[in-house]
Amino acid sequence: MSALKRWLARCVMTLGALCFAAPATAQSIVVDLSTREVAISTGFTGAELLLFGATEGFGDIVVTVAGPRRDEIIRRKERVAGIWVNGTSVTFEKAPAYFRTAASKPLDEIAAPEILQRLQIGSDRIDLFTRSQRTVENILTFRKAFIRNKKRQALYSEDISDIKIIRGRLFRSTIPFPVNVPIGTYQVTVHLFKNGQLVSSQKTPVTVHKVGLEAKIYNFAHDQSAWYGAIAIAIALVAGWLAGVIFRRA
Amino acid sequence: MQIYLPIAEMSLNALMLLGLGGMVGFLSGMFGVGGGFLMTPLLIFIGVPPAVAVGTEANQVVAASVSGALAHWRRGNVDIRMGVVLMIGGFIGSTLGVWLFTFLRGIGQIDFVIAVSYVLFLGIVGVLMVVESVRAWFRSRNPSAPRRKLHHHTWLHGLPFKMRFRRSKLYISALLPLGVGVFVGILAAIMGVGGGFVMVPAMIYLLGMPTSVVVGTSLFQIVFVTANVTFLQSVNNQTVDIVLAMLLVVGSVIGAQIGARVGSRLRGEEVRIALGLIVLAVCARVAWTLVVTPEDLYSLGIGGAH
Repeated sequence: MSALKRWLARCVMTLGALCFAAPATAQSIVVDLSTREVAISTGFTGAELLLFGATEGFGDIVVTVAGPRRDEIIRRKERVAGIWVNGTSVTFEKAPAYFRTAASKPLDEIAAPEILQRLQIGSDRIDLFTRSQRTVENILTFRKAFIRNKKRQALYSEDISDIKIIRGRLFRSTIPFPVNVPIGTYQVTVHLFKNGQLVSSQKTPVTVHKVGLEAKIYNFAHDQSAWYGAIAIAIALVAGWLAGVIFRRA
Repeated sequence: MQIYLPIAEMSLNALMLLGLGGMVGFLSGMFGVGGGFLMTPLLIFIGVPPAVAVGTEANQVVAASVSGALAHWRRGNVDIRMGVVLMIGGFIGSTLGVWLFTFLRGIGQIDFVIAVSYVLFLGIVGVLMVVESVRAWFRSRNPSAPRRKLHHHTWLHGLPFKMRFRRSKLYISALLPLGVGVFVGILAAIMGVGGGFVMVPAMIYLLGMPTSVVVGTSLFQIVFVTANVTFLQSVNNQTVDIVLAMLLVVGSVIGAQIGARVGSRLRGEEVRIALGLIVLAVCARVAWTLVVTPEDLYSLGIGGAH
């Protein structure tokens, strides 16, 4: 609770600073998040971050969130003798594992497609690179399938008109992280547009990491996998032996 | 009560996992089988990545088999010499199996190979089990029918490296149990099972071991082989989820005790027919996933599953 209070206090100070600021900062935006760390612990079922900000004067707000980049594989199933088997695949290099776009109104009303493309706004406009030698149409089909699958896993999302601007000054938006959210650093970018032109951008990083026992087990399994395996066996042997002893007595 | 599984990287209901362990434990206690061949497909059905289901199940089978193995050991129902030969084969097989598993996972075919292995082995074992038990059931009602010979002499008995297995009253080539061990080891690694459902029939019909030592020796071997699979899956693929394994273990040890008590009151043939039908049902369910047209022909690979 105290964290929330601190955060609210920070918001109030931010707003105060903004309200009394000189006209020099007229075109700026101030943004804050409910937290900059998402902790995955035993009871984790997903998280929702609250993004809160203020702007001087009227404009359109776009928020993008891009997750950790890594090589992502998309595979197509093919029917072989009546059975579905994974066939051809395309690897998109350093693709964002998570991608979200939220805006205060439909994107095509905010800015021209070239600007949206340059700023990487909207999951249909993400730059995805591949070394695959397939035809352009083929790659495009894989690209569409990749985005569709990511959306199904709730890792890619779009929420147009999600951002509410209150009295042309204050805005808020939510950033949902599903339970399967990958760990790593996320870049939250807030853009302010006026009359189709980008006026200002603000970037804030958010980290997603495992904490507590979950983190210990995960790190142990990956950093010292031989010991992890040995301990997994030891626990299983003791548990099995113990169960035998208990039930023999009973 | 949702619990986050650190290796599977997903949230599942802890009570549901305990219940799942209990249910499979009950069946395994009733039928005297390991239960891995039921648990792994069930885990996959509820959304656990197949690679994690297989790795974790190997770990659970260690716990599920050790108390049985100890009990049989105390009663002297383990042919240690045979067990060691099977175990050596099992180590070779499971090491090969995990290597194959890692390779198939890399090229994106592991889910397919797991599913096909299940359909194949559950299909064969299920059909054999039902046919054999129905026959036995008819024989028991008609005792005058001629009995089949248990032990046949074939070319298998002409193989070199003969060894004497006193406890099993056998003088056979060591290559035979070694081969059985290798084969079951590969299955254990790829399917996340102990392999008792293949090894027990192989020991009876192929090696000709007396039934009194079959279960004990098989459990003895399973403990070592699944331990080896747990270790190698941890090292190569990091797919053993201790939290998931523990929840399943707790559920299954309790379920197994209840199942064993219920099972002792039922007739052998009827129990085996029921088990055969369950095996065939799981087989049909896995086969269905292979032939039904998927909603989306495209899927994210292991890069996306992490």
